[in-house]
Amino acid sequence: MRSQDHKAQFTELMEAYAGPIRRLCAVYADSRADREDLFQDIFLAVWRSLPHFRHDATVRTWLYRVAHNVALTWRVRHRRRQSRESPLLDDMAAPSEMDLRRLALTRAIAAMSPGDRALTLLWLEGLSAVEIEDVTGVKAATVAVRLSRIRKHLQPAGEPS
Amino acid sequence: MIDDTSALPAVWTSNESASESSQASAIAGVLERDRAARDRERRVRYGSLFALVCLLPLLLWAAAHGVTPLVRGAYALMAAGAAAMVAAEWMYLDWSTQGLPGPVDARSQLQTTAFMLTRQIRLLQTAPFWTSPLFAGAILIGVWMYGARTHAGAILVWTLTAAGWIGGALRTTRTRSRLSETKLEMERLLRDLS
Repeated sequence: MRSQDHKAQFTELMEAYAGPIRRLCAVYADSRADREDLFQDIFLAVWRSLPHFRHDATVRTWLYRVAHNVALTWRVRHRRRQSRESPLLDDMAAPSEMDLRRLALTRAIAAMSPGDRALTLLWLEGLSAVEIEDVTGVKAATVAVRLSRIRKHLQPAGEPS
Repeated sequence: MIDDTSALPAVWTSNESASESSQASAIAGVLERDRAARDRERRVRYGSLFALVCLLPLLLWAAAHGVTPLVRGAYALMAAGAAAMVAAEWMYLDWSTQGLPGPVDARSQLQTTAFMLTRQIRLLQTAPFWTSPLFAGAILIGVWMYGARTHAGAILVWTLTAAGWIGGALRTTRTRSRLSETKLEMERLLRDLS
């Protein structure tokens, strides 16, 4: 892949997926500095993997695979430096009702086990059970069962507190 | 009010407060990080290659032209130890690179990373074995000095060798325990995901 094509494709991907990846970072990292660190780590892995992308998966599932792998590894390697800072509260000057709902949801997801967290994030981003299997390696039937249990647990989480 | 969970994806993907850095600076940050990481890796590789290229011929020459069989044997051991250390460092770096997160599914990724960590831990566990020729060679040089030169010189060589050996052992033990913890956590994650 030529260097210009590589950079153009990367810029396109970053523009399209910066939002979902920032949401993912908000769940995995507490402080703003850590979120930014994780965000850059994810896109660094995307940048390095992009020349080897063979289109055997959709761009979306390919990118989510990279992102979740980096986030899971990042969380393990930085587990000792997890801060007590409230996730995202430092970024909200005058939070709307929707902001508060999202914050409650973020906290509920952050409190889940790593496996449930990954499945929930992918479901919230609109991936089907088959796509989630493609990203996580967990069988689609298992994904469906676990998501059904998670949804029951999450129902009150989207409510503003 | 949210009556059912089908509304949660909409809540989740609603606009975030715009306080993050701009796209352009984020891209520049990623490219800068990539450059820094590649530079660091290159420095380590070239550094060890340079050490090998400079040190090994010197040790081999000393092994061939040493004043006594004891000195020649000592330098030969040190040459073997230095070569083993550089080879081990390169393997360690390679396994670190192979364990980096990539575009495979999360379970396969965790298995690969845990596997690479196991290899790295084993390499560190066997460090006393593959570094021993280097230190044994240095001790033999001290033995020769004790008999043929000064006692003080020999004691200095032995002290430096012991300090290097103990320091290296402490460093590898610390790294090994950190890697073992990471590996355990990876395995826990894998179980949780299954």
